[in-house]
Amino acid sequence: MSSERVEVKEKVLSANDQVAAENRALLAAHGIYSVNMISSPGSGKTTLLERTVDLLKPSLRLGVVAGDVQTRNDAERLERHGIPVEAIETGGGCHLDARQVARTLALLDLPSTDLLFIENVGNLVCPSSFDLGESEKIVLMSVTEGEDKPLKYPAAFRRARICVITKVDLVPHLDFSTERAVDNARSVNPDLRFFFTSSYSGEGLEEWGGWLGERVEEYRRGR
Amino acid sequence: MHEMSVALEIGSIVARELAKRPGCRLTGLGVVVGAFSGVQIDTLEFCLEVVMAERYDGVVCEVKPEPGTAQCLQCGRRFQVSRAPFECPTCGMPALGVDGGDSLQVSYLEVE
Ligand SMILES: Nc1nc2c(ncn2[C@@H]2O[C@H](COP(=O)(O)OP(=O)(O)OP(=O)(O)O)[C@@H](O)[C@H]2O)c(=O)[nH]1
Ligand SMILES: [Mg+2]
Ligand SMILES: [Zn+2]
Repeated sequence: MSSERVEVKEKVLSANDQVAAENRALLAAHGIYSVNMISSPGSGKTTLLERTVDLLKPSLRLGVVAGDVQTRNDAERLERHGIPVEAIETGGGCHLDARQVARTLALLDLPSTDLLFIENVGNLVCPSSFDLGESEKIVLMSVTEGEDKPLKYPAAFRRARICVITKVDLVPHLDFSTERAVDNARSVNPDLRFFFTSSYSGEGLEEWGGWLGERVEEYRRGR
Repeated sequence: MHEMSVALEIGSIVARELAKRPGCRLTGLGVVVGAFSGVQIDTLEFCLEVVMAERYDGVVCEVKPEPGTAQCLQCGRRFQVSRAPFECPTCGMPALGVDGGDSLQVSYLEVE
């Protein structure tokens, strides 16, 4: 019997993408601007969120979805800042997927939310493949990780539009060239916009928080 | 790390396609993996073998890498890249930005 070739041309993650599109529509219906924060373990996602939440809480209604492999630690840290937080424990899974986020959105008070942060599992590879339905993908890298992170993990830097370089208070102690890091990131994605923050000294937080506030406004107007 | 979930998704797509063609036996499968898709090709090949062997007999899996293209800032040459740094093979200058290499796609099935 002869074989026949059947063209399929289907994206492997199309099932995830479909749920992500539903999440996006649901968030849009409530006018919620959402960001998906992606980085290696320990780059400072939760600490930056704690500082950002304190900064924006007086003017915006915030919510957080905190993904973690095994614990609820990050969710508990953020809850102490007096905002609604839902944890997703992936139980070993190396990334969040759109279905997990869909289930979690059902637990949040969406009509009372302006800005939703999604802290992805600490991992610079896998989360970048899974669209969650967010408005913006944000990749973080800390100055302790070395300037070549964007070259080693190009997928994450290509899919994000925003790159936050964190822990800049440590630069004086390190042989880290911010310029080289930015050049490397731009070589994989020329359109990236950068923020430079320290959750310890507070450097860059006003600019970062201000930008988020503007995006929320812009998102509402564009709807 | 997520190659197993990718292989399982491929398994679901294959099952769906076969369900549209009753009586057909799967003999081959083609997948395209972009150099910047975040998927490790050899790991995916291994996971696909495991997933396919569980369900079908003797399926030949072809996993095809897809490079990106970059353009030299100095001489304008366009060249293929699959890993950083993106340097022009002619003059060694870094390129700014890369197009493509992001696919993750089931391209074809072979059935008899
Ligand atoms: N010096 C310095 N340390 C920081 C800064 N931000 C976070 N850290 C420290 O870095 C460590 C990790 O921070 P987290 O905020 O937990 O990092 P994370 O990205 O949420 O980690 P995972 O969720 O486990 O991936 C903690 O010890 C923080 O105190 C910073 O701006 N400067
Ligand atoms: Mg964290
Ligand atoms: Zn050249």
